[in-house]
Amino acid sequence: MNKLLLNVLIFISFSTICKAQDSTFGDYTIEEMQQKSYPADTSAHAFVLKEFGSTRLDASDNGIKIYFKYHVKIKILDSKAFDKGTVAILYYDSDNTHNEITDIRGQTTYTDDNGGIHVAELDKSKIFRTTENKYWKQVKFALPNIRSGCIIEYSYTKVIDNFYMFPDWQFQDDIPKVYSEYRVNIPAFWVYNVMIRGPLKLTSSKSEVEHDCFTSRGAKCDCSKLTYTMANIPALIEEDYMTAPKNFLSAIYFNLEYWTNPYTGVKNKVTKEWKDIDYNLKHAEYFGSQIKKDLLKNYIAPVIAGKTSDMEKAVAVYSYIQKNIKWNNFTSVSSEGVRKALDTHAGNVGDINIALVAALNSAGIKTEAVLLSTRNNGIVNKLYPVENDFNYVIAKANIGTETYLLDATDPMLPFGMLPLKCLNDQGRVMSLDKPSYWIDLVATQKKALTSNLDLTLQPNGKLKGTFTTYSNGYEAYEKRKTIKTFNSVDEYVENLDEKLGKVKILKSEILNLDSLSLPLGEIYDVEIDVFGSLNHDRFSFNPVLFDRVIANPFKLAERTYPVDWGMPSSKRYILKMHLPAGYVIESAPQAVSIGLPNKGGQFITDFAGEGDNFVYSNVIQFNKSLYSPEEYLYLKELYNKIIASEKADIVFSKKK
Amino acid sequence: MKRVVFLLFILTTGIKVKGQTNYSASLIDKALLPYASAVIRNQDVYTEVKDGYTFYRIKRAITVLNNNGDNIAHIVVWYNKSNVIKDIKGSVYDEFGKLIKKFSEKNFEDENAANDFSLFEDSRVKHYIPSIGAYPYTIEYEYELKSKQTLNIRDWDPNPQYGLAVEKSSYTFACRPDFSIRYKEINMPAKVSIGSSKDGLKTYTWQVSNLKAIRSEPYSPIAETYLSAVKIVPKDFVYSGISGLFSNWEELGKWNYDKLLANRQALPPQTIQQVQSLTAGITDVKLKAKKLYEYMQGKTSYISIQVGIGGYQPFLASDVDRLNYGDCKALVNYTQALFKAAGIDSWYCVVYGGSDKISMLHDFASMGQGNHVILCLPIKNDTTFLECTSQKIPFGFLGDFTDDRTVLACTPNGGKLLHTPKYTATQNIQSRKAEFTITPDGELSGNMTTIYKGTQYENHEVLVGQSLTEQVKTLQRMYANISNLTVKKFEFKQDKKEMPVATEAINLNAYDFASKDNNKLYFALNPLNRQRSIKDVRNRQNPVYINRGYTDEDEITYTLPAGYRPDMAPLNVNLKNPFGSFKATTVISDNKLIYKRRIEIIDGTYNKESYADLVDFYQAVADADSYNVMLVKN
Repeated sequence: MNKLLLNVLIFISFSTICKAQDSTFGDYTIEEMQQKSYPADTSAHAFVLKEFGSTRLDASDNGIKIYFKYHVKIKILDSKAFDKGTVAILYYDSDNTHNEITDIRGQTTYTDDNGGIHVAELDKSKIFRTTENKYWKQVKFALPNIRSGCIIEYSYTKVIDNFYMFPDWQFQDDIPKVYSEYRVNIPAFWVYNVMIRGPLKLTSSKSEVEHDCFTSRGAKCDCSKLTYTMANIPALIEEDYMTAPKNFLSAIYFNLEYWTNPYTGVKNKVTKEWKDIDYNLKHAEYFGSQIKKDLLKNYIAPVIAGKTSDMEKAVAVYSYIQKNIKWNNFTSVSSEGVRKALDTHAGNVGDINIALVAALNSAGIKTEAVLLSTRNNGIVNKLYPVENDFNYVIAKANIGTETYLLDATDPMLPFGMLPLKCLNDQGRVMSLDKPSYWIDLVATQKKALTSNLDLTLQPNGKLKGTFTTYSNGYEAYEKRKTIKTFNSVDEYVENLDEKLGKVKILKSEILNLDSLSLPLGEIYDVEIDVFGSLNHDRFSFNPVLFDRVIANPFKLAERTYPVDWGMPSSKRYILKMHLPAGYVIESAPQAVSIGLPNKGGQFITDFAGEGDNFVYSNVIQFNKSLYSPEEYLYLKELYNKIIASEKADIVFSKKK
Repeated sequence: MKRVVFLLFILTTGIKVKGQTNYSASLIDKALLPYASAVIRNQDVYTEVKDGYTFYRIKRAITVLNNNGDNIAHIVVWYNKSNVIKDIKGSVYDEFGKLIKKFSEKNFEDENAANDFSLFEDSRVKHYIPSIGAYPYTIEYEYELKSKQTLNIRDWDPNPQYGLAVEKSSYTFACRPDFSIRYKEINMPAKVSIGSSKDGLKTYTWQVSNLKAIRSEPYSPIAETYLSAVKIVPKDFVYSGISGLFSNWEELGKWNYDKLLANRQALPPQTIQQVQSLTAGITDVKLKAKKLYEYMQGKTSYISIQVGIGGYQPFLASDVDRLNYGDCKALVNYTQALFKAAGIDSWYCVVYGGSDKISMLHDFASMGQGNHVILCLPIKNDTTFLECTSQKIPFGFLGDFTDDRTVLACTPNGGKLLHTPKYTATQNIQSRKAEFTITPDGELSGNMTTIYKGTQYENHEVLVGQSLTEQVKTLQRMYANISNLTVKKFEFKQDKKEMPVATEAINLNAYDFASKDNNKLYFALNPLNRQRSIKDVRNRQNPVYINRGYTDEDEITYTLPAGYRPDMAPLNVNLKNPFGSFKATTVISDNKLIYKRRIEIIDGTYNKESYADLVDFYQAVADADSYNVMLVKN
């Protein structure tokens, strides 16, 4: 009974607030109905006519809750946007925090074949609720009568029983918006940091004070009413090789700074400064406690037994954690217990890497945990600390004067190398005995491949010789992962041989497969059937036998976002050919040497012939991890040159 | 005699399960190791039908040899409201068979398993990753599943995936002695052994042992034709409280019609009126149907939603009429209702949809063989099938999703097996003509027209409805071998007949198409339609299977820059094999280079020895396709 009454009250308070700006549900104009395209972006298949959000913090019978109301009206221009009519709302609902979605309302306004305008309401019995897993639930519904030209509209209220989870607002989306507005109403007992990100400017922002808007069991305070609006928002179109779209999206974020308990007056600082977070984490059962107490002493003692240098110990401990805790594919920045992770041999990122920090410290190596945000999760803001921005934790081991960043979730990663997903701007080093600080998360190694072919043309027309490759850094890491998808090296080589077509592998040797920090070598004795036979007087031969570039990965005329590969890379290819006596080289490819501006990279080919032998070499090098949109056209042009150069043949013929 | 043998078997496995099994990895027969990432040491699946329920008891011991076997050890159990899990428990052993840990249901994660694209589907999963941090390791686990129906008995597939070898696996089906079943053995090395259990149930038992791991081989027939399986279906069954019986397709189709489909097609009077006005004046049944089909396409959209009698019963036609959306069943039923209102008979057909052509088994009727429905118009000598979930597909055209396979039509007079139309190699055509000019600077420009027919009709469907900016981006990807592609004019037309035709016309140019080197110009002869070589397979086991045939024709006329002549032996490749042919030629006349290419691939099954020919064929095609033209100055 109480609950029902409360709902009614909330509803009333909402409708009074909302009347001001939010248009009433279901209104439309004939012009909107007749609109055939979106003038500001004629490639749009749908656009948002109006979008409103409002968040209010209020007291309820079971504590303080956040009421977030969402209301959107979308014009569907053609069938490519029909999927906008199926709405999925994912929300957090775990043992500790119960959120819910209420007051779902939806309708479609459409023009029938005879030009009549009709409204079809969302049938409440066709709203489906599912439990995704122990943390997430989902509400899903499909609006009825979707057709080209219709307007869909829906609204719902999300009730959040944790005032730390203040809803953010994303102005920009994958379709353009005419108007988007977010209003928040925050009682003075709570103070949030507000951060606006993205390149677009707000059309307006307004701040007002509403007197005595919050009253609960005798407590009373004013509220700040903040309104943010943005008009004519373009769609965000994703491009290849870009990092998380979130980094570029115009959005507004709220993070609790402190709050005053309305009933006791006790002030709670939440995130004021890094030193607060440092203190919290240091004492948290899920973080600092796992590291400080040397819980892994008995596990680690045998691992480092007999090891003398710190480096040896560190490598042994790293490898032990890599092998002994299997990653369960969940990311996290906390641990449910480092001993538990080692005992069950499974855990999330926090379990594994906090165990690594603890284990390295136990081995006498000074190691700190580093919080970071992965590439998909976006770059963390630096304006003020937000613990929730981080979704991943790694270890920073200090050995001598060097530091090594370590992630033990993947047993194929060499000591000191981070996976691409972690190479994202900066991370925060959480030292338990001094203040935390930022550290750059950049690739310490390149992705480099060197291939050498040494071939002799046989009387039967086949090329015979050796094919040797050395993979370094990220190239070696990826190659090792590929090899490990086979049950044995023999199966890998067999598959390679089957794939290479005209190249027959006669003998093979793989070097350093399990020595993760050394280059991975592959040495093959090969026989290549290029010419069929030697019954011609003249041979045309393309010296780039493997991985010839034929399509340009860069196709755009202009670029909006940087190209972010995460790491520099290089490919070197050298072909040595020995011709039988009696042949001369008639023509050879022109030597090429082209560079990117600011020493960003280069493409070089060279050819040297002497008697019956010649050497062709080809180097493609990208020296930077990230290229700005201004550099895009240079990258595109470099690839054009690579493609052009790799088309050219070497021609040789029998001496007349 | 048989009974004695069976009892002995029970006894021996009984003893083993009591914990004396040695799971040491070293005991695995070496012959089972090639291509294996994991080995099933022992598996017992026991299925019992009782009082309208099906009970499963699954026991499994798997040794994981390396990291690639982890996904096989990942225990995943599907369930929902009518399939309830009871008692999962298990243990993990190390390389030497020493017990490391035990686990039970509380260790499992519980998740929604519905497809993302579904609005609703009652499907959940419990899963758990056992791990000990070293290889090899063995997991042994068991669970029970109680299914509230007896219509669908799970198939037994002793070796369902690549990289998994089997030491021993057995399957027992138990029921009352008077309970009648049909079963089908597919590629089973040994026949069933029939016996009875100590509590008087009749038992059917199958066993396999020492199955080697299967390797993925390209161009293999569909797995069902070469893997072992046992399928069982009871004669009498209960499903969602509805009982029934069938022993052939006719009876199953009849049950479907009577219990799931009949009386779900009432339409509101205004819709019936709409049907009548739409079809007024049209006498030909097919034209009438076409009119209504297009009306349905314009009005509805497809949304997957698995509710109503275990996902088998369509929404009411009146619901679709009101909501304008539905899943395949609902949209077929709705189209059927529209047809009915115009006096046109049509049949609801169950099919297995997908690019692989999987047919209903002619000699074994069972419910679970389809995953999709389409509609059949049984016009005399002109049986027409309709796909009802697409807003765009032409009337009477099935594309490559439901073509050339046996389907079950559920008619008022019972089930009928029908075969959908086949689109042949000579009908599935992509035919292209291009006139290009190359300047001395290497710039390419010209026109290109491509016609897509048969199952190739949909190759570039994605371009329809895109804005020009999107179309240009899409074309740059589709014709990725022309770098710096600029599209000056683009037109895409679709002729939506039963054998539909799409025509694409592009006016394009691209700078740096030909590259200069030492006073020579190089360019790729075939930048439009390149075939890659295929992987060879040593010791191939499976015959060669080509699922669908096609023909591609390309003709490019290059006008060469003045002052240059080609320095090349003319390309002349002509290959002919039972599975296909390839011809590529160049002709030079005046300043023109005319390139012609034709490839035809003929669907069918060819012996495994012909795989080597297929590899050679594609290699030769790939070589011819990667041909670069060298022009020299006169």
